[in-house]
Amino acid sequence: MPLTFYLQLAIAGVSVGAIYALVALAIVIPFKASGVLNFGQGEVATLGAYTALILTQSGLAYPVIALLVIVTGAVVGVIVERLLIRPIASAPPFTIVIATFAIGLAIKSAIQIHWGDTTFALAGPFGDDPVIVGGVRMNPTSLWIVFCTVAITLLLAAFFRFARTGKAMRAVAINPEAATLMGVRVNGIYRWAWAISATIGASAGLLVAPVVGINPEVGQLILRGLVAAVLGGFTSIQGAVVGGIVVGLLETFASITVGSTFKNLTPFIVLMLLLIFRPYGLFGARDVHRV
Amino acid sequence: MEIRRHVGAWLAACGLAAGAVLPWTAAAQTNGVTPTTITIGVFGPISGPASYIGLAGRDGAALAFKEINAAGGVNGRKIQIVFEDDAHSPARAVAAVRKLVEQDKVFMLMSVGGSNATAGTIDYVKDSGVPMFVSIASAPGVTYPFQRTMFRGGTTETARYGELYAEYLATQYKGKRIAILSGREEYPRNEGDATAQKLKEWFNLEPVGRFEFNIGDKDFTPQLTGAQRANADVIAFFGNPAEAGIAIRQARDLGLAQPFFVGANMVDPAVVAAAKGAAEGVAGFALVPMLPGSRLPEIQKWEATWKKEYPNAPPARPNVFDVMAYADAYVVAEGLKRAGPNPTADGLIKGLESIQNYRVGPIATPRTFSTKHHIGNLTLVPMVVKDGNWDPLPWQGTHPSDVLKRYP
Repeated sequence: MPLTFYLQLAIAGVSVGAIYALVALAIVIPFKASGVLNFGQGEVATLGAYTALILTQSGLAYPVIALLVIVTGAVVGVIVERLLIRPIASAPPFTIVIATFAIGLAIKSAIQIHWGDTTFALAGPFGDDPVIVGGVRMNPTSLWIVFCTVAITLLLAAFFRFARTGKAMRAVAINPEAATLMGVRVNGIYRWAWAISATIGASAGLLVAPVVGINPEVGQLILRGLVAAVLGGFTSIQGAVVGGIVVGLLETFASITVGSTFKNLTPFIVLMLLLIFRPYGLFGARDVHRV
Repeated sequence: MEIRRHVGAWLAACGLAAGAVLPWTAAAQTNGVTPTTITIGVFGPISGPASYIGLAGRDGAALAFKEINAAGGVNGRKIQIVFEDDAHSPARAVAAVRKLVEQDKVFMLMSVGGSNATAGTIDYVKDSGVPMFVSIASAPGVTYPFQRTMFRGGTTETARYGELYAEYLATQYKGKRIAILSGREEYPRNEGDATAQKLKEWFNLEPVGRFEFNIGDKDFTPQLTGAQRANADVIAFFGNPAEAGIAIRQARDLGLAQPFFVGANMVDPAVVAAAKGAAEGVAGFALVPMLPGSRLPEIQKWEATWKKEYPNAPPARPNVFDVMAYADAYVVAEGLKRAGPNPTADGLIKGLESIQNYRVGPIATPRTFSTKHHIGNLTLVPMVVKDGNWDPLPWQGTHPSDVLKRYP
């Protein structure tokens, strides 16, 4: 088979993987900060996509739409954390997970009531004419998604490394009590984590909408996002991105090699094998307990 | 003498009372029938990726039954419906029909869902003896092998799809290299199988490639590049509108200029809306003579009635499934009417079997049943996307159908 064929598949895998990576990032950040696994994150992406749809119908330009989707995501994240998560913060982790699941269901149901299950199209920011490099054709929206994923990853890495709030978030993740004693306002950090997470989730919805369309099932991306997050180690920013790309590539090449029947299974099989030999994922660190 | 007269009067009164009550007594033995109502259990997906079928099926049928009731009902009885969501899952669908039959004790069942779920109910429904009218699902098991209690309305049998699709593909496209991309669930897989079978039987053509995908897939690059590598002249795509919208756009992104032919459930404005300009030239067969959203006055009038009933409906509604379920609700009512004043399962079956070329209006294809087969519709209308609209094509299949030969 010609090299361009494999390159074409690789580009498709990376494009899809970048979407999974964004969802994985949105899952990892609140988990890093507060230990909460947010099962409603997929529906935050759906919300971002519908927000983009509404704003597009208002005739706004893409940069304005993108900005407003980001703001909407941040506001939703803060509201969810303040009104729904913080009141049950002392509940068992499983209770909080179920609560996030319920939040997702509520968002999805509200969308279905208002818009039904019709799939809507959203134009990409750079049109539909493919970019052709060396015989390999690339959708400009897919390239935009990959670019945004890389940019968001770098921004997050810089945030956690250099920003005061980012450093505080890392401290809270390691030991909330110690961080509190050092003057860190833990509740404020949690709020930041949820705002950032929902912003990324909503941005993911905005970015994927031109590729996959807009319907209430957009949130199903969370399944792949979770696999990507676990592959990456669940607490690692780079791990989430690499995990997403790996899942995208596995799915795409599995379609060609083992067929669509096993395509969806392949990432899960790889995940199980990885967890047997490396339970803390590709980029996670083994838990060390001082005794 | 006086006593005898009193006894006589009493007996006469009893006789009159019995005469008045007997018909109802007979009806009372039939589940779902009261002196004033007939209850029909309707099921279809109103959640999940195929809810565009069930929501439309539910609303289309409900609108028709409302109109029928407003016009006096059927032989003096109003039609009530109990709706259950099957979520496009065979397991959920079986649970739904069990509830409708055993708990709600409906008179008959009406499926407004897809093949995946409806196929799962067939064994149970056959065993239950409750008549079922299937409006949208084309799963072969509904009507073949023949089962007296099962009827098919708006859709035809998958084998008929295969005949028409194969003849169109073989005669309308210059090349003969046909790639089939189909979903792995019941309906698209059956469409792909039936098409491949008839291409081989009638035209001695083997598809150059058969590529499958999963419902809800977002990337079709592997399948499309596979078709490209197989040097396909035309791509036959069988799946759901959301998938078709993505695949058609991705094909153009990948530089594939091959024409697309799509299955009947995708001959819908939603595909054009999702694929935008890439949808130009896409062809397929419609299950109704005119699609919602088209410029024909008959369908515009019907759409206005529908929108009056559902003023807050989402965009892209009503769709083709609204029309099919609406038309089939009238067919069911006609069967009930012909069943007479005391409807029974047997009476309904005989009533439906007596229907010949019945249709509620120009928006529907005619339905014909017989004692030998219960496939109401063998007509599909070829259409092509032109200037963003599905326009009918002046094409008619000439190859004699084999479908009815299976029913001696």
